[in-house]
Amino acid sequence: MELIRNFSIIAHVDHGKSTLADRIIQLCGGLEAREMEAQVLDSNPIERERGITIKAQSVSLPYTARDGKTYQFNFIDTPGHVDFSYEVSRSLSACEGALLVVDAAQGVEAQSVANCYTAVELGLEVVPVLNKIDLPTADIDKVKEEIEAVIGIDATDAVAISAKTGLNVVEVLEAIVARIPPPKPRDTDRLQALIIDSWFDNYLGVVSLVRVMQGEIKPRDKLLVMSTGRAHEVDSVGVFTPKRLAKDALRAGEVGWVTASIKDVHGAPVGDTLTLANKPAEKPLPGFQQMQPRVFAGLFPVSADDYPALREALEKLKLNDAALVFEPESSEAMGFGFRCGFLGLLHMEIIQERLEREYDLNLITTAPTVVYEILRTDGTVAPLDNPAKMPAVNYIEEIREPIIVANILTPPEHIGSVIKLCEEKRGVQRSINYMASQVQISYELPLAEVVLDFFDKLKSVSRGYASMEYHLERFQAAPLVRVDVLVNGDRVDALSLILHRSNADRRGRELVEKMKELIPRQQFDVAIQAAIGAQIIARSSVKALRKNVLAKCYGGDATRKRKLLEKQKEGKKRMKQVGNVDIPQEAFLAVLQMDK
Amino acid sequence: MTLPPLALYIHIPWCVRKCPYCDFNSHNAPDALPQREYVEALLADLDRDLPLAQGRPLRSIFFGGGTPSLFSPDSIARILDGANARLAFAPGIEVTMETNPGTVEHGDFAAYRRAGVNRLSFGVQSFDDAALKRIGRIHDAQQAERAIKRAQDDGLNNLNLDLMYALPQQTLDGALADIDKALAFDTPHLSHYQLTLEPNTQFAANPPPLPDEDSAWDMQEACQARIAAAGFGHYEVSAYARAGGESAHNLNYWHFGDYLGIGAGAHGKYSSIDESGALQVWRRWKVRAPRGYLEHAKSERVIGGDDPVAVEQLPFEFMLNGLRLTGGIPLTDFHATTGLGSDAIRPQVEEALRRGWLAPQSDRLQPTESGQRFLNDLITLFLPEKGGET
Repeated sequence: MELIRNFSIIAHVDHGKSTLADRIIQLCGGLEAREMEAQVLDSNPIERERGITIKAQSVSLPYTARDGKTYQFNFIDTPGHVDFSYEVSRSLSACEGALLVVDAAQGVEAQSVANCYTAVELGLEVVPVLNKIDLPTADIDKVKEEIEAVIGIDATDAVAISAKTGLNVVEVLEAIVARIPPPKPRDTDRLQALIIDSWFDNYLGVVSLVRVMQGEIKPRDKLLVMSTGRAHEVDSVGVFTPKRLAKDALRAGEVGWVTASIKDVHGAPVGDTLTLANKPAEKPLPGFQQMQPRVFAGLFPVSADDYPALREALEKLKLNDAALVFEPESSEAMGFGFRCGFLGLLHMEIIQERLEREYDLNLITTAPTVVYEILRTDGTVAPLDNPAKMPAVNYIEEIREPIIVANILTPPEHIGSVIKLCEEKRGVQRSINYMASQVQISYELPLAEVVLDFFDKLKSVSRGYASMEYHLERFQAAPLVRVDVLVNGDRVDALSLILHRSNADRRGRELVEKMKELIPRQQFDVAIQAAIGAQIIARSSVKALRKNVLAKCYGGDATRKRKLLEKQKEGKKRMKQVGNVDIPQEAFLAVLQMDK
Repeated sequence: MTLPPLALYIHIPWCVRKCPYCDFNSHNAPDALPQREYVEALLADLDRDLPLAQGRPLRSIFFGGGTPSLFSPDSIARILDGANARLAFAPGIEVTMETNPGTVEHGDFAAYRRAGVNRLSFGVQSFDDAALKRIGRIHDAQQAERAIKRAQDDGLNNLNLDLMYALPQQTLDGALADIDKALAFDTPHLSHYQLTLEPNTQFAANPPPLPDEDSAWDMQEACQARIAAAGFGHYEVSAYARAGGESAHNLNYWHFGDYLGIGAGAHGKYSSIDESGALQVWRRWKVRAPRGYLEHAKSERVIGGDDPVAVEQLPFEFMLNGLRLTGGIPLTDFHATTGLGSDAIRPQVEEALRRGWLAPQSDRLQPTESGQRFLNDLITLFLPEKGGET
C-alpha cells in the first residue's frame, strides 16, 4: 500500500488536463505511442467533440521513480463541467491527492476553485501544476500568487510544465510520489468500496469503477450494494491500463473495475458503497446522494410512430446515466412523449444529441424548465416540473422558485459587466472580494435565470475570462406567471413558460418575434400570440406563402426534380404539425435563442 | 396496351457564353464549332435509339440547348433530313428551334424554314437592357426586337418568346413593360418564368439581390392578368398560348408521352410492352460532356444510362408533368402512360381533394387554383414513402 498513489486532476476545460493525462500515460508506458489516440480518456465522441469529460474513468500505471522503487499510480479522471459536480466529488473521495492544473497564461477559474475546495475538505493533498509555460503570455509568478490568494494553498513548490511539449512533466510524476500520501491503512478488513462511476457495457452488464477503502474484492464474492440492499456475485475484477486487465483481487487502497452481472447503473449508483454480503461493513462511506435532476423538458418524437423507439432509447441511455429520469407525458399539441429530468442544460443537450445521432430519432425538445414548488390554497406543497401542469391560479397560494448561490471569479476589468448581468437576471449580491488579480463575486440568483444561457453570457461579457460554480440554496416565493403561446388561436401546451411577472411582457414579445423568424411561411397566415391567462401580451404573424412551384419542367431529368421535392418533404418531416401549422424543432426552443 | 405518342428532342450543347443562372447542359462554344462531326454523331445516336420508336411516327421535334441557332441552316437541314430518312413524320409535325438573339438577328430564317423548322422559340428574357446585363445575357433589347421581326418577315410566324420575371432589381412596372413589348409582336405563344437560383450555377454561388417573395408574386399576378387580357390562355405553370398556339412538343412532355433524346446529355423517356402485355417505362440518357459525346457517338458508350422507372415512382413522375397543366389531365392518360389503375393513386388523390388542391372530377386530375400555387406540395403527395433510386 506504501507504493500506491491515488490522484485526480482538477482543471478547467481547456487548461490542458487531457494533454497532461496523455503525457503521464505515455511516460509510464501505459500505451505504445502508436496506440495513443489523442486524449485517450475522453472516449465518447460527443465528449471529444465538445472537449469535455462526462464519465469518470481511471488508469492504473506503474511508475519507476528516481528512488528506484516502482509505484502504482491510479489516476482517476473527473468530469469537467459544472453540471457534473457530484461525480467530481465522488472521484475526489477516491483519492489521497489531486493535481490542480492551472493555465499559466489565464489563471485560476471558478470551477477549479470549487473543486479544489472540495478536495481540501475531503482531506486531499493538492499539488499545483502550472501548465502552458511555453506560451509567451505565461506569467508563473502572478498565477502562483493567485492560487495562494484565491484557493489558499501554498504554491511555492508548484510544478511549472508544458504538457504540450512534455517539458518538466516528469517532475509532476516525482511530485506525485513525494507529496501525495499513500492510502492510509484501516483497522478493519470488512470491505468498503466506493463506487466512483458505473456504466453499462453490452457484454458485461454494469461495469463499476471502484476504490477499495478497506478489505478486498475477489471474483465470486457476494457483493452487497449498501443503498439498494441487493446482493450480486462478482464475475471479475481488474484495472485499466487503460486497457481492461483482469486481476485476482482488488485490495485495500487500489482502484479498479468490478463486474457483477448488474443490469443497469441504478443497481450500482455512483457514490454508493459496496461491501460483502456475508461480512458487511458497519456503515456505508459518507457522502452518498441520489442524483437530483434540476432541469426538465419534454421530448416528443416528430412522428408518433417513433414513440416506442424513443422509450427504448431512453431506457438504454438510462442504463448508463443515473441522472436521467423520464416519465410518459402526453400533450394536446405534441401527442405522446416523455418528460425528462436532467442535471443541467449541457446534460440535456447531450442526451438529445445522442438520441438523434445514435438512435436516429427525430425529436422535438420543449423549453427546459426548473422545478418549482407550488403551495396550494389547501396548504399542500408539490413540485412542478412542467408549466403545462400548473394548477389554476385560484388554487395557488404561492409559487416558489429555486435560488442558487453562484460564486463567480472574474478579472477586475470585467466586474462591471458581470454585476450588470447578475442584476439583469434578478440576482442579489451577497459578497464581493478582491483577491490578487481576480475578484470573487457571490450572488443569489434564481436557478431559472441561470440554466438557460447564463454561462454563455457570463463568458461573452467577460471575453471568456469569468467562471462560476453554483449550488442550490433554497426555494423562495416569487411573483411568477405562466406565459402561454397561442398559434392561430390555439394554446400550444408544450410552449408554455413560467416567467417572472416583471419581465414576462418583454420576454413574451421577444418569444413571439423569435418564433416568427423560426416558423417558415405556410399556405395561410400564422398568428403567434403570447398570453398570461386571457390577456394577450404580444402578437406577431407569419405571412402566408404565395406559392411553391417549379418554374420549369420539360421531361428531361426527372431525378433532379424528385430529389429537390424529396428534400422539401424531408424538411417538413422534421417539423411538428400542431393543428395544421408546421413548426420546426428550433421554434420549440426559441426561448433558448432569445436576445442572442 | 398501346404505346404513347412519340417526339424527338435534339440537344445542341454550346452557347456563345453560358448564362449565370443556367443549369442546362451548355458549354462555351469553341472558336470553330464541330458542326459536321456533331451532326454525324446525332444521326448515329438516333440510329441506336430507332428500335425504341416501335414504328411510331414523330409528332414533334425540338432543337434545344445550349443555342441551336449557332448551327447553320445547312446543319439543321442535314439533321432533319437524317431524322426523316429514319423515322416517319406525322402530318403537321411541329419542328421547333430554340434561338438566342445575339446569334441570329442577321441570320437567314428563311433558310431554317426551308430546312424544315416551322416554329422558333426566342430566348428574349427581357426587353430592358440593364436587366439583360444583370442576368449576363449577350444581347440587348434592340437585337431581340430585330431578330423577332426578321423571323416574322421571313414567314416564320409560329413563335414563342421566353421572358423571365423577378429579375435582379426588377420592379412590377418593369415586369409589365416586358409583357407589353412581347405582346406587341403578336406571337401565338409566350413563356413567362420566374428566375430561380438553381444549384451549381454562378448565381447560386454568388446570388444577386432578387425581389422578395411577395414582390415576385405581385409580378406574377399582374403579368398573368395582362397576358390573359391580350387573349392568351394560361395552359401550364409558365406557358401561355392563343387558341391552337400551344407547344405540341411540350404538351407531349406534360402528357407523359414518349420522346427520344439525342445529343450530349439528352434525356429520353420511352415505353415498352412485354409479352404479358405489361407496360414498362424507361429513361435513357446520353453522355453529357460534348467532347465525350463526340468521342463515343458511334459506340454503345454514348448511352450514359438506360434504366427502367420503378413502378412506385410512376405516379409521381406522371403528376410532376401532368398536373402542371392548368386544365389538368384525363385520368385515362394516367392509365395509358403508366399502365396503372386508379387504385395506385387513390389515397393521394383523396388527400389532395381534402386539401382542396384537386378539383372534384371523376374523369380528370385537375389542380385547383390553390393546387396550382402549391403544386410542389400537391405532387409531393405522390412521392413514394421510401424514395428508392431508379
